[in-house]
Amino acid sequence: MSYVHFPVIAVMTLFMGAFLTVVLGKHSRAVRSFLAIAASGIAFVLIAMLVKPVLIDGEIISYWMGNWNPVNGYAIGIGYEVDQLGMFFALLVVSTILLSAVYSLRYIERDSSQEFYYVLFLMLSGSVLGLVLTGDVFNMFIMIEIMTFTAVGLTAFRNTGFGSVEAAFKYLVIGSIGSSFTLFGIAILYGQCHTLNMAQLSAMLSGNHSPATLMAFALMFTGLAVKSYIVPFHTPAADAYTTAPSSISMVFSGMVNKAGVYGIIRLVYIIFRTMDIPAVQTLMVIFGAVTMFIGVTMALAQHDFKRLLAFHSISQIGYVITAVGLCTSLGLTGGLFHAMNHTLFKGLLFLCAGAVLRATGTTNLDQLGGLSKKMPATTVCFLIGAFSISGLPPFNGFASKWLVYQAAYDKAVTTGNFLYVFVTIVALIVSVMTLASFIKVTQAAFFGQLPERLKDVEEVPFLMQLPMWIMSALCVLSGVFYNFVDKYLLVPAVSAALGVSRYIDSMMGSGYAAEKCVTDIQASGVHFSYWNPMVWLALFVIVLCAACLCILTSKGSRGEILEGDGEDGKYATFFSGEKALPSHVGGSDLFWGFKTDWKGYFNIMEGLHSGVVNDYALYVVAAAAIVVVFTFMFMR
Amino acid sequence: MDITGALYILFKILIFPGLLFAVVIGLFLAGLDRKLLARMQKRVGPPLRQPLFDFLKLLGKETIVPHAANKTVYLAAPVVGFTALIVLALFIPVFGYSTFSGNGDLIVILYLLTIPAVALIVGGSSSGSPYAGIGISREMVTMMSYELPLVVVLLTVARKVGGSALCFSLGDIVSWQAENGCLAFHPAMIPALLAMLLVIPAEVGTQPFDVAEAETEICEGPLIEYSGAPLAVFKLNTAVKMFIMTALFANLFFGGIETGYVALDAVIMVAICALVTFFSMTLIHAVTARLKIEHLFKFYWTVVAGLAALSLILVWVGL
Repeated sequence: MSYVHFPVIAVMTLFMGAFLTVVLGKHSRAVRSFLAIAASGIAFVLIAMLVKPVLIDGEIISYWMGNWNPVNGYAIGIGYEVDQLGMFFALLVVSTILLSAVYSLRYIERDSSQEFYYVLFLMLSGSVLGLVLTGDVFNMFIMIEIMTFTAVGLTAFRNTGFGSVEAAFKYLVIGSIGSSFTLFGIAILYGQCHTLNMAQLSAMLSGNHSPATLMAFALMFTGLAVKSYIVPFHTPAADAYTTAPSSISMVFSGMVNKAGVYGIIRLVYIIFRTMDIPAVQTLMVIFGAVTMFIGVTMALAQHDFKRLLAFHSISQIGYVITAVGLCTSLGLTGGLFHAMNHTLFKGLLFLCAGAVLRATGTTNLDQLGGLSKKMPATTVCFLIGAFSISGLPPFNGFASKWLVYQAAYDKAVTTGNFLYVFVTIVALIVSVMTLASFIKVTQAAFFGQLPERLKDVEEVPFLMQLPMWIMSALCVLSGVFYNFVDKYLLVPAVSAALGVSRYIDSMMGSGYAAEKCVTDIQASGVHFSYWNPMVWLALFVIVLCAACLCILTSKGSRGEILEGDGEDGKYATFFSGEKALPSHVGGSDLFWGFKTDWKGYFNIMEGLHSGVVNDYALYVVAAAAIVVVFTFMFMR
Repeated sequence: MDITGALYILFKILIFPGLLFAVVIGLFLAGLDRKLLARMQKRVGPPLRQPLFDFLKLLGKETIVPHAANKTVYLAAPVVGFTALIVLALFIPVFGYSTFSGNGDLIVILYLLTIPAVALIVGGSSSGSPYAGIGISREMVTMMSYELPLVVVLLTVARKVGGSALCFSLGDIVSWQAENGCLAFHPAMIPALLAMLLVIPAEVGTQPFDVAEAETEICEGPLIEYSGAPLAVFKLNTAVKMFIMTALFANLFFGGIETGYVALDAVIMVAICALVTFFSMTLIHAVTARLKIEHLFKFYWTVVAGLAALSLILVWVGL
């Protein structure tokens, strides 16, 4: 069987898995688990087999459903088209699906109505995979719809708890508004161009915009921005990520909002090819910078582990949007790299949060503490994830963030535009604030004193640890061996996004792009001379050895390491002689010095995040109006 | 790579400008700081070698791991911080003489500088003490405070040197100054220089910016439970950090005065380091009292960041 069928089969396997789970999986947990693992495993293998032809050899797979080939230069059938950009995201999606499915096996074993969980899970997976592989705008919309509604269902899955139905309702309202904008945009586009195929649209719209297509751009941009939860469309994300099961939160941040990001890249770089227009760059960079900043400051104010992670998800997507919006190949590389890293480290952190929830029954940071002695594996994984997201070298977050800063400042000095300097500073400061809020989680949940209530906590089972370890390893490896990531994943994806004529020709027959006068952008000006991690790693090891040696030699008769239990005063924590145990400083109180100074800002933010869905819908509509007005004022 | 090349790299890592050099100069600067401070307060003060004696003595003391602590993290934290500092020492050239050089030096340095602070925070946090809890909170807020001006200063230097090209390489910054004169003598850079002088004491954690350790109120915060060798390494980290920050300052603002002889360059650099230590740490320490954490934050985000931003704007308009 030729590999051109693989993308379609991968998507269909996931949907078939969902269907079979309904039919066969009602009564047996073993069947359900088998179906979920089998479907996600097959999808993973099929996509992984495409790595060689698509990513390495640079082939573009075009596939017309039911063999409905274009007639007279017009695409009439639904086409699947897999280029390196789609492939890059497809890899992220299938990895997330597989790891989440493995984690789910033990994680949701105590929940009721598990068959619905797997049905929704597999449908969500299939829809996101379909979204990144399709070459048809309307098919993309359908996938967005399936994605939104299954995501709503999964948000409300644990409806015994507080707030999950409310979160689902918010998600439903905001998500539907976003979908409607997308649909409206697609309708206008179809009216103008009489086609829904992305390749053909790209050929027709390249440098050839009418007011109607600009309107379509603004609406579709808003619709996809809602799906990637950038500020001010982020409001449902915070609730949904918090109340959904952690395996699903991981899927949300790992691939559902990446689907939105993918959509934006596809829209801006391929379909409309508006990335050269400074106004579009400004729009995206401002959206990105605001998202980064509001996301991280809101995260600093949270008391709930998962809610804090949710706001970080929003904030990190801000980095991606900023980098992508710079529209330089360096920026695009940084953006895609950061998107990939975000999938890894944020997925990992959500899984850690899930482990804490399963072990202790709460994610409230004010009630946790001292878990590192009870859950050492989770603590190590969490620290790796936290250091990665804060961008400490040599973890992966550092490599990608560095590219983002470089790209932003490069843009600033080459254009002389002060906006980009500002954005660079914001990006750098947001990184420190990210670190701060993870220090808060570390202190509040994993270190400090163990509350009496949590004395009997146990580490999570191996099947839940496995995905966490895999992702931790990937976080370290992709940071240290960024050269390989760059060569085999990022460079192909970036060249696919910038060089659109091959994409068009592959779908519409060769010569079509040239006929429509589509020109590619040369991927140039990339200088990847950042630090050489191999030298570094060697160095790190040498110095670490030296330091260890230094400590070991000092271990004389008096310098030994002593341990004992808390009854002995020598090993007890120092409390200044107070008899009562002082309270454990954690959670909400940790950064009061900072919060006092920013009281005004936090009060405003608290007011804006009112929790009333009417307000949130208003933000979406208002932002859409602003985008439309902005588009008409500056993009003509 | 042949054997001499490998040995040369090993020499760079372990002796000059790596491990040994950084440690010796760091301890020297720490001793100098204490001596000068004592003289300014009309005390005799400890001998210049006192920090070294302290370090050696602490190494011989027993290391107590508190019951509430997570042993691995508790013991690993100081070593990780120390490692990062030594790596950092390799990234900061002695004017023309450097171990590694690449385009992203400034950002790498910025991020490596956070690692010792994070090591202190995580180590303190893992000790399980409530005093450490308060200490790490303050350390983190201090970090957020000085990061903004530091970032702006670095970007200003990058713009001044690079013009309309991206330039984050410390090596390029130094060679630019060799041609165009030290950045300290460019009028537009004066506010940035002042801002950097104020960033150094917060980064190192000396009075009045030592809120995180505040011996008199929270008993050294993150270090409260530490003893023996880990404490010795943490104390050493502070000393090495003094050297790193002052050397970074010397390269950023006085990079042009290289003579071509590495040994002479090293002496000049140490002299500049000592001067900077005196002005930015000892002098301020002697004449001020400790700030509150919210005042510290406000001070850095208004006054210091304002100075840095002034410089950035001046450079941006072409001065």
